[in-house]
Amino acid sequence: MRFLVELFATLVIALALGLSTAWFMVSAPRIGTGVGAWKAVPAVSADTADPYTRARVARTGEIVLGAGEGLVFIAEADDDGRPLDGACDYRISGATPTARLWTLSMVDDAGGLPASVSGRTSLTSREVLRDAEGRFEIAVAATARSGNWLPSHSRGAEKAILRLYDTPLALSPDQNMRMPRIVRGTCR
Amino acid sequence: MMRTAVWLVGALLLGGIVHIATVFGVPHFAVNDPWREVGTLTGDGVFVRLPRAAPGVRTLSGLDPAMTHAACRFSLDNGPVRIRAEVADGYWSLALHDRRGMWVWGVDNRAAEQKPIDILIASHVQVAQLRESLPDEFEDVVIVDWPSQEGFALYKILVAAKSREAEVEAALATARCTPTPLP
Repeated sequence: MRFLVELFATLVIALALGLSTAWFMVSAPRIGTGVGAWKAVPAVSADTADPYTRARVARTGEIVLGAGEGLVFIAEADDDGRPLDGACDYRISGATPTARLWTLSMVDDAGGLPASVSGRTSLTSREVLRDAEGRFEIAVAATARSGNWLPSHSRGAEKAILRLYDTPLALSPDQNMRMPRIVRGTCR
Repeated sequence: MMRTAVWLVGALLLGGIVHIATVFGVPHFAVNDPWREVGTLTGDGVFVRLPRAAPGVRTLSGLDPAMTHAACRFSLDNGPVRIRAEVADGYWSLALHDRRGMWVWGVDNRAAEQKPIDILIASHVQVAQLRESLPDEFEDVVIVDWPSQEGFALYKILVAAKSREAEVEAALATARCTPTPLP
């Protein structure tokens, strides 16, 4: 009797452990090079994708950028490690790694884009205004700002997604990449 | 005490096996992988303009809101599939994904030097057939050796400004993916 109870408990623990860790690894990109607040999502190609990426793509139906197309970075927190929150304003400033084109957008937990008066949901390297040294400063806020303004959600958890197209880094992101800083401003 | 430790080690090992089996099993049992998601928005063998990612709009997940997209799901059962499209000024990219949503092949505006897109996707067997006798019409076509029978193509163009939208839409509308039976 004792044996059966122990066997049952072991099976339950094994299942719970195996399934929960699998779900954790598959529910979002967990492996990737981190630089500051940003994490590079591993570039995906049919030959080289890791099993976790394969499972995540199959489960979410998400369209991923191919290894030859570019590289995606996700930031879920600011440079001080506080989770990005729609109730706060942020400044994203500095420079990005070399790329022919980049786009920046803010999404909520479900991947939804923010509604704003401008109807704009992203900012690209073609539109952004830079200083004499090529650096930019972007105001992320729910309401209009002067200069480079990226509309954000007015409340709730957010993620910043930076997509670099046609970048030499796509195959080998490294720790020395210059990524933009994310600094929290005022909160409502 | 010893006995509990042995059971715990057993649970850990078994948990590891469950973990690995689950991760490798997911792609085989997933019901909303990218290929099926594309299928809910388009029919097979035809390019369909996808709704642009916007607040409250249902479209494929992971699409860049700065781009407009058209997708075509294809099958090589009725012969190789030829993809042709006019291009727009500025950034565009055509990506071919396999049945599991993994990126296999792509071309962008820099690689294509702004020439119109003209490619032929063929399975290994069809490529061998083409090697034997290449029809004249495929002389200048890029042939992509496809590892399986199914996949989907995603054509995206950057909308650099609102004023460029019409031009971008016009280019997207020229995209064709047609099964081309071999003689």
